[in-house]
Amino acid sequence: MMPIAPDLLLFSRLGLGLMVIVLTLSAGAGGLGLVNLCQRRPFALAAMRVLAWVVAGMLVAGFLLIGWLNLRIYQRLPLKVPPDLLPWLNQGLAAMNAREGAGYGLPLLDPAQPPRYILPLWIENGKYYFWFMAYALMILPAISRPVSHRLRGALVALLALQNAILFLLTDPFSRPLPKFFDEIGPWFAGTLDPLGRLGQFMRLYPRMLFYYNTPYMWLHPPMLFMSYAAITVTFVASLFMLAGRGRPEVEVLGYDYAKFGYFMLTLGMLLGYPWALEAWGPNWWWDPKICSSIMMWAIYSTYLHTRLYAHRKTMWYFTSGLGIVCFAAMIFTFITSFYFPGEHTGQ
Amino acid sequence: MASPQKTSYDFYLILLTVLVLAAISAICVYGMFYFKFAELARMPLPVKNAYMERMNELVSPFVIALILILAICVPKRILPAVWLNRFSLALGLTSVLIAWRWGVVAALKIALCLTLGLQVVVLGLALAGSERLNFETKGYWLRLGSSCMHLGLVLFILDLFFYRHRGLHLLLFWVTTISTVLGMTGCFYSPLLARRAGGLARRAKGGG
Repeated sequence: MMPIAPDLLLFSRLGLGLMVIVLTLSAGAGGLGLVNLCQRRPFALAAMRVLAWVVAGMLVAGFLLIGWLNLRIYQRLPLKVPPDLLPWLNQGLAAMNAREGAGYGLPLLDPAQPPRYILPLWIENGKYYFWFMAYALMILPAISRPVSHRLRGALVALLALQNAILFLLTDPFSRPLPKFFDEIGPWFAGTLDPLGRLGQFMRLYPRMLFYYNTPYMWLHPPMLFMSYAAITVTFVASLFMLAGRGRPEVEVLGYDYAKFGYFMLTLGMLLGYPWALEAWGPNWWWDPKICSSIMMWAIYSTYLHTRLYAHRKTMWYFTSGLGIVCFAAMIFTFITSFYFPGEHTGQ
Repeated sequence: MASPQKTSYDFYLILLTVLVLAAISAICVYGMFYFKFAELARMPLPVKNAYMERMNELVSPFVIALILILAICVPKRILPAVWLNRFSLALGLTSVLIAWRWGVVAALKIALCLTLGLQVVVLGLALAGSERLNFETKGYWLRLGSSCMHLGLVLFILDLFFYRHRGLHLLLFWVTTISTVLGMTGCFYSPLLARRAGGLARRAKGGG
């Protein structure tokens, strides 16, 4: 049994309870959101706002729970190498580091300080959780603004939909980090012979250093997920813009979130660049995920440029159309990781 | 939202930028599907390299167009419309001549270096708060931010030519990143910056 099994059990139980509460409250908030979306007059806006705040707070609590599990993984799952294997491994690592053209170095092992996993909070299903939590937090200022109750209702209804998807399809609590535990399972099962252990370590150690523990993991993915959340708000505002002109406050709301989203997207993409150079060398530029990200950034840049002229009738509709295309491009970019092969997917 | 009353040079340049960006997006989508259906991920390195070369060739006319638009966008801040037309014509002719004599890459590098020089001048003028700069929008921080952001873009494209020189490439990349971040902050959050700067100035005055 893995040394972290009791923690996993506690994590799943607490997480399940939390998700049930989130789903129940989201259903209430979403119902009020739908009523507001469909009705001419505002209906229980204050209650809807309070529910949205509580849902966002519960999601933050769940995020802290994910952080707690990752801390336990750090504390309880060090990659301890048996003393008899240590000299062999350090010899092998030194030989790899000395190899001509190796653009990286794998630190030699110190038995007193075994390598430990510092898992980012947005891997596997955690990324959906972080994305939807970012959306939940972002809509809080939006639903307090003096914009139409229908728009506010739509934002909250979308929050409920996202939480339903989270619970039904991408729950990070029911089976935590399945790929990670499949990877490390054989090492901690203790059934491998010494040669098998050696091979297993040489698979786990570089992946730990260049994927899980790299500082870029704390910058590049979360910034992109925050931009995705902001683009979603811009998308909803753009839909309302399409419904008719003469609502500058809706355009301003969409633009405020577009600015933040573009900031995060651009910075996130830029910060992925040196990581890509380090991990893949120059042979990655036309990778499908990169292509789709450039496409999305180009469309987003277009939106921000045309928005300068949104006071003109045709440009108003063109800009709102682009806000919707931005969202479609974002979904397309996200799906790319699953459907298209390449460096980001490892297919 | 800006509210210029008549159709300006900026408007047409923005439309042109939109078209070029749309073309680059379409090429990216084509690249993705080609990568998948030709099963390039499983192909040997020479086949992948051939794909990269082909994609570079496909996108290069549009990158050239983007560079030329940038090269016109930047001086429009400091030149009146008549001189801008003359400048654009001179730039186009010079680029063609250099491309014919020393190759397209040399022409692009020169156009980019010229743009970079002009953008630095624009940034200096924006920093000094010059009223002579032609911007579609008003505000000290916004103009400063826009100048920084466009400087970042010019530097980023220029930096792509130096990817074989790892040290310089990364150094330029970080300068690009800092310039872009400062630029976006200025562009997007200029009212907030103006309020903060005003508050600090008032506090300094009160303290002094």
